[in-house]
Amino acid sequence: MIGARNVKPSTDGKRKTRNDMILAAVLLLVAAASFLLWHFSRAEGESVTVKVGGTETAVYPLSEDREVEIIGGEDNEYRNVVVIRDGKVSVSEANCPDGICVKTRSASRAGESIVCLPHKLVIEVTGEKSEPGLDMTA
Amino acid sequence: MKKVFSVLLALCLLLVPLSGCKQAGEKYNAYYFEYFDTVSIVTGYAESKEAFDAVCAEIEAELKEYHRLYTIYNGFEGVNNLKTVNAVTDGAHSEVQVDRKVIDLLLFAKEMYRETDGLVNVAMGSVLKLWHVYRNEGIDDPAAAQLPPMEKLKDAAKHTDIDKVIIDEENGTVFLADPKMSLDVGAIAKGYAVEQIARHLEEKGITGYLLNVGGNVRAVGTFGEKPWNVGIENPDKENEDVPHIEFLHLTNEAVITSGVYQRYYYVDGEKYHHIIDPETLMPGSNFMSVSVLAEDSGVGDAFSTALFLMNYEDGLKLIEETENVEAMWVMPDGEQRYSSGFKAYTYVP
Ligand SMILES: [Zn+2]
Repeated sequence: MIGARNVKPSTDGKRKTRNDMILAAVLLLVAAASFLLWHFSRAEGESVTVKVGGTETAVYPLSEDREVEIIGGEDNEYRNVVVIRDGKVSVSEANCPDGICVKTRSASRAGESIVCLPHKLVIEVTGEKSEPGLDMTA
Repeated sequence: MKKVFSVLLALCLLLVPLSGCKQAGEKYNAYYFEYFDTVSIVTGYAESKEAFDAVCAEIEAELKEYHRLYTIYNGFEGVNNLKTVNAVTDGAHSEVQVDRKVIDLLLFAKEMYRETDGLVNVAMGSVLKLWHVYRNEGIDDPAAAQLPPMEKLKDAAKHTDIDKVIIDEENGTVFLADPKMSLDVGAIAKGYAVEQIARHLEEKGITGYLLNVGGNVRAVGTFGEKPWNVGIENPDKENEDVPHIEFLHLTNEAVITSGVYQRYYYVDGEKYHHIIDPETLMPGSNFMSVSVLAEDSGVGDAFSTALFLMNYEDGLKLIEETENVEAMWVMPDGEQRYSSGFKAYTYVP
């Protein structure tokens, strides 16, 4: 890809016109900007995705501490409290019958998730797609 | 000409940052909560969300069908499932006309019974039902939690003869020849169903999917060259710092873990999990967990239960004698032991 730039030098020997110079400068800027954008979007790291009944309802950065109460169910009878702290997410409280989501260890790496089966709730850590991360736990 | 050259140059420059992502497709996840009393996760690489959703619709339809046929807890109108087979009227079971998928599961179950020397026995419903009832009561009211009385367990164990599961392949019927016996396919049904769904996808040429039904993980091809990264859960749930104790690269294999941490309750401060030894009628206590890597997810599911109930030496012998299965044992002190071919699949993240 990089090499392609040198394949076709200006063979006619003339100097580049002013417009071409401007065009090249603009394109370089665009390329630099897109690189920076890519770079910083990567550096932003993992986020926490909340899904209720399979539908994504919220996304939070894993790097910002917060506590969120998630209410679900037909009559708002389902309650889970999700805590993001020190780059880890966990469920601190829930009124589900099995309490498995509260017992599940906190998640911090892309691909890790916490599930509350009775409430059809999934808390997922997601990362950049170019990062290997983890696809599943068995 | 120069303009064309400049535009080409620009395109190249623009593509440089994008080349950081080696793969053209995107990764998607879907979750299902309605089947096999557990959570099912489909992870896949697809060109678009629409393409992923189309494959998921197919997977879900299959999951739903297997669930409806294999459940012992729910009845469905117009469906003869394992609940129908277990039903007793006028003091006896009836010969029940069932879907071919039920026949195939039960034939597979008998094969696994033989392969595991009876450690995986789907005719143990009477015993497992007792544990199920006492466990649920113990979870609902921990202060009053009790063990099923050994007398009751021993009584139930008299009605677990798998040879009394009469399968008539030609007529497509199943009959339980002991009125007090019942089927519980919990140790194999999820793994078996996942395997059938995976093969269905393979036949259709669908690749790049990872299926997980309650911890029965099966890879259906990769997306490009990159294998799937699958972590094995640390059975020591108290250890917050080490969530995974091993990492596997999968392309077309299945991995299943049986562990003390998956389904349990406490009686007088003691933990009692759900994997019941047909000999002692009590939960097995040799390991914290056993993970089985297998070509066939159904075999993997059955073997993970069987190995969990065997001692390490016998289990290792069984694995080394059987083709296309590997295992990792986590001993009570946390030590990890491996069969000879397991490490070929592991990686260090
Ligand atoms: Zn929960």
